[in-house]
This record gives sequence, C-alpha cells and structure tokens, in this order.
Amino acid sequence: MSRPKVRHLIAVAIAFALAATLIACGGDEESGAEGQTTIGFLYVGPRDDFGYNQAAFAGSQAVAEAFPDAEVLQAENVPETAEAERVMENMIDDGATIIFPTSFGHLEPALNVARKYPDVTFLHQGGLDTAENVGTYFGTIWQAQYAAGVAAGMATESNRLGFVGGFPIAQVLLNVNAYELGARSVNPDVTTSIVFTSNWCDPAKQAAATNSLIDQGADVITQHQDCTNTVIETAARRGAKVTGYHFDASRVAPEAWLTGAAWSWGPLYVDAVRTIEAGGFEGSKYDGRYRSGLGEAVQLTPFGGAATPEIRERVEAAAAEIRSGELEPFTGPIRDQGGRVRIPGPQPSVEELEETDYLVEGVTGEIPG
Amino acid sequence: MNALPATGRLTPGALLRPPYARPAAWVFGTLLGLLVVLPALEVSIDQTLIRATPFILTGLAVALPARAGLINVGGEGQLLLGAVGATGVGLALPDTLSPVATLPLLALGGALGGLVWAGIAAGLYVGARTNEVIVTLLLNFVAVSVVAYVVHGPWRDPDSASFPYTADFGAGGTVPLLPGGTAHAGLLVALVAAVGVWLVMGRTRWGFRARVVGGNKEAGRRSGFNVSRTLVIALVAGGALAGLAGAIEVVAVEGRLRPAVAVGFGYIGFLASWLVGHRPLAVVGAGLALAAISVSGDNLQIDAGLPSTTVYILMAVVVMAVLGLRRRAGRQG
Repeated sequence: MSRPKVRHLIAVAIAFALAATLIACGGDEESGAEGQTTIGFLYVGPRDDFGYNQAAFAGSQAVAEAFPDAEVLQAENVPETAEAERVMENMIDDGATIIFPTSFGHLEPALNVARKYPDVTFLHQGGLDTAENVGTYFGTIWQAQYAAGVAAGMATESNRLGFVGGFPIAQVLLNVNAYELGARSVNPDVTTSIVFTSNWCDPAKQAAATNSLIDQGADVITQHQDCTNTVIETAARRGAKVTGYHFDASRVAPEAWLTGAAWSWGPLYVDAVRTIEAGGFEGSKYDGRYRSGLGEAVQLTPFGGAATPEIRERVEAAAAEIRSGELEPFTGPIRDQGGRVRIPGPQPSVEELEETDYLVEGVTGEIPG
Repeated sequence: MNALPATGRLTPGALLRPPYARPAAWVFGTLLGLLVVLPALEVSIDQTLIRATPFILTGLAVALPARAGLINVGGEGQLLLGAVGATGVGLALPDTLSPVATLPLLALGGALGGLVWAGIAAGLYVGARTNEVIVTLLLNFVAVSVVAYVVHGPWRDPDSASFPYTADFGAGGTVPLLPGGTAHAGLLVALVAAVGVWLVMGRTRWGFRARVVGGNKEAGRRSGFNVSRTLVIALVAGGALAGLAGAIEVVAVEGRLRPAVAVGFGYIGFLASWLVGHRPLAVVGAGLALAAISVSGDNLQIDAGLPSTTVYILMAVVVMAVLGLRRRAGRQG
C-alpha cells in the first residue's frame, strides 16, 4: 500500500487546478466599468437545443450586438427550483441590473429575488404573474401554429396529424387546438392525435411518442417540446413530414420540413432593454403582461422542401389574414372533444385563451390527470 | 484488504473494495484543496455546504449497502421519495405546530419515503432474486413519475393555476442555520449520519455481520447469520438516508415539492461513494469536493462564459484521476 495521502492530494489538486485554469481561460470578465449595463439571461435547458432555449439564446445575442458596451451574462441548464434564485443573485452580485429568466418555471424564483432587489428589473418569459419590478412577456404563437396547421392539413395524405406535447398546460392545449383548426380550415376530414410526454425535453420519450403517432397513421408531425431535433429526426426517418416549433430547425430535416412556428425574440429583448435603460420601464408595455403577435416575436419559419407552391400560397395567405386581424382562428362556434360549444361567438381575449383547458373536436387523445 | 489483482485490472470486485486505508487522507486533502481554491473561484462557501448535504447523504446511501455487498444505484429515486414523504407530512401537519415537533416529523417522513422505495428493491432481491443494480436504477425513473403525479395531481397547489408544484408548507423559515452563515443546518445531519454509519459498520455486531456477508455471502450463511435480513436492512437503511436528503432539500431549500427537485443529486452521491471506496467518513470529503465543483458551475458560466456542462467535465476529471491513481497503486501493491 503506497501512501494514499499523496495520491489523493494529487487527484484533488489536479481537479481544482483545472477548475482554476478554466476560469482563467474564460477571460477576465469582471463586472465592468462605471455606467456599463450588465444583463443576465437564464435558460432552463442547453442553449443549442434547436428549440425554446436556442430561440431565447439567439435573442440574447441580438442584445449583445445591439449594446456592444453591455455585458451579457449567460447561464444555461438552470432548473426551475431555488437554484434559479441563486443563479440570479449571482448575476446581481456581478452587477446585473436587468435579468431575463426565460423559462416558465423561473417566475416564482424571479419574484422571490425581485423582492430582495427592487433596483433590478426582471423580464420573465411566458408567465402570468407580475410584480413592481417584474414584467412578463410572451407571444401568441398559437397564431403561427394555426398557419402551420394549414400546411399540415394540405400535406397530409392519411388525414392524420401527430402532435408531441409536453404537459397539458394551457399554452400547449392552445397550440394543439390551433393546429387542428388550421388543418381543418383546408381539409375538413383531418384529425390531430396528441401524445403528452410529461416532459419538455426527453429524447427517448420524444422518439417513442413520434413513432407511436406514425404507427397510428399520422404522416405530419409537430410538437410542443423545448428541444425539438429528436422528434424531427425520428419523423423524417419514418418518412413523415414535419412542422417545427420554437426555432427554425429545418436543417435537421430540410426535405421533410414544411414550415414552423418560431420565436424571434431579438427585437423584443432589445426594445425592452432600451426601454429599461431609458428609465421607462414603469408603465411601459413590458411592465405587466405583454403579448407579442404573429409577425413580431412570433414568426413562421421559411418553408422547407416538403412545402409545395400551393401550400406556401395558402399558408402565407392565412398568416397575412391573421396579421391583419381579418382572420381570428378561435372564432366560434368552437366545440370541444365532447361536442360542447366552448366558444360561441367572436374570438375571446388572449387572457381568456390562455386559460384553455380543453381540446377541440377533431383532436384525438385525452388530457391526463 | 487490497482487492486489486496484481495486473491492476479494474474488476467489479476491485471497485467494491479499493485499497483505501486512510479515508482521512481524502477528507484532509479535500479540505486543503477547498481552502485554497474556493476563495479564488469566488465560490460561495455557504452554497457549497448546502449542496454537499444531499451529496453526502446519498453517498452514504450507497456506501452502507456496498459494505454488505449490494450496489444501490437508487439514491436518486430514494431521495425523490423522501422528498415526497416529507412533503406529505408537511402538507398534513397543521401550521400551528412548533418547529421542534415539525422538523423531526418531516425528517421522519422523508426517511420513511426513501426506506419504502429501497424496500421494494430489497424485497425483490431476497424474494425474487432480482438484481438490485437493475431494480434500484429503474425505480429512479418510476420515482420521477411519482413526483410528477403528485405535483400535477393530488397535491398540486390550489392557488397555482399553471405551475406544477405543491403548496409551500412553510417549514423553510423554521430550519436552523449553521452559525455564522446562511447555510441551513442540514449539513450537521449529514455529518452525524456519516459518523453513525462509520460507527455502525466498524463498531457493532451488525456492522461486522454486514461486512462478512458483503465479503462472502456463503461464509456469512455458514456462520449462522441471517443473510437475507442483513441485506434487506443494509439496503433500506441506505434508502432512509437518501430519503432524509430529499426531506432536507424540500424543507430547507425549496419549501415545496417541484418536479425538478434535486435532479441528479443521487447520481452524484453515487459517484461520491465510489470515489472513496464506500468509506463513510471519506464520503464527507468527496461530497464537499463534488459540491464545490457543482456550485462553481455557476461562476464558470456567468463569469467565465463557459458552458454549464463544464461541471461534468470537471467531475469526470476527478473520477478518472482517482481511478488512474488507484490503478497504479494496485500495480505497486
């Protein structure tokens, strides 16, 4: 038995030396000079997930470009727990005065931290609650899902669409409903099957859900997941077409790609930072529950190889009508799966739509729980 | 004692009983390393202590059964069920109860949750001869679903329209803190547990029996020990420790049960135990070291702009450094 003390000290020392080296290599980005803004971004997943987090990360890059003097702090894989509070406080220690907690579940941690730091402004993505120094913004991405549904309804040969959902929350149900309504607007026989994975990014479950949807006859697949490439790859491999979500991931399967509902956060983030910098947060649209629409933070991605000229034309027409307000996808009568009329007349307000707790007729699958 | 064959090949048996004569070396080395590096990295000491608590407890949940020859990969699931158990107690208890009564009950609920979860694997092991590695590992995934079920279903906060979590059961403010800091006193529980496991394994008749069974089941049987009972107790006691970690996380850190509570902590505890050859006191050192690395991940991202996965590279470096050095030691010994 050789001297364990020395060996263990070496092992520990190597690890710590490496950690210190990494910090040093990362460059000395200590909180900068006077007057320089520091902006922090938190993501719940990796910044290269072809989805929710990559879209938000792209927005942060736009902020870095628009404000070359500002320091942009990044933290990915931040769980929706008390850990997020710690990360935000860490950023504030480094001088951050504007923080973008970009995940739904970062809201409660943000509200907790916001109480402690009244001088820091928090812009949360996708929530419902606000506070004096916390605003929450989102976009009516279901408008783009409706337009993508138009593409799917035209592209399908089996008249069955497949939707890989995460959790049965209002945002997801709204997207499923919009997709089916969009598809049915061009193809009255089409149905959409929904599978919930009870997860936002579990590639194994995503692949299983996609395969089972295709086994049931679906030939166009879409999703509401944070990371999107597994569903796209699996669907394309099985010969199905896809419409994307959150982010333009068309390069994963260029030939199977029809179009997609995606975020373009850059302009919104930049404008929000500019507003706060000018001292105009209070009373601005960001001070509250702001929802951006199709053509702004919500976009249709470019068309892919699977989109025929007829599809492109119809989708673009639908999108243009939604933008102009001529077309309101949730105009009644809208029936739920049981045939009950849920929306009798004109399209409800965005706030009311964001409380959707049912699936429209034509959707197959149940809301669990 | 040195289980490595002269060729230095890493066999499963060798991994189970590596040639560590002095756990104190690990503890000492780690503390020295932390002393030098933590201030340099601006890593928060309080955060390190908070994070080390679940790592140490889930590490002990591996170390204890390992000495009896069982590989418990289920610390993650046992921690989650502990979190569920403590939450159940927390939601059921009236708010008016004093913390002196509440905190032990919450801890008990957590330990029971972990115990039951490990008990399933233990029961299957002695009853149906299933492999405990597979069963404990697979039960982790079931545990994730159990947490998802309670937070989306029966225990969902009635005041929260859209967030899947339970109500705040308000015990967080009553948890005592370590003197001179903001870290909760859960670390003391982990330290007491480590000393307890060390005493039980090294100083009691049951510990001796467990080690004999761990060394050679047949020898244990011929010595007249009740092998099955020893194994069951070792595994469920480990589960209870991991469950305690879950209770501490929901009570002292989160205040409520959320689907993402303590994700991956059980696996890091597993690593902590294997790193030090399942020696209970050394698990404390390994837990602290891994906690420091884990917490430094924030600084690596925010200050140095490195990807968050850097943390896993650092942990892998530690593991490989130790395994490599262990291998050389085997060749010499």
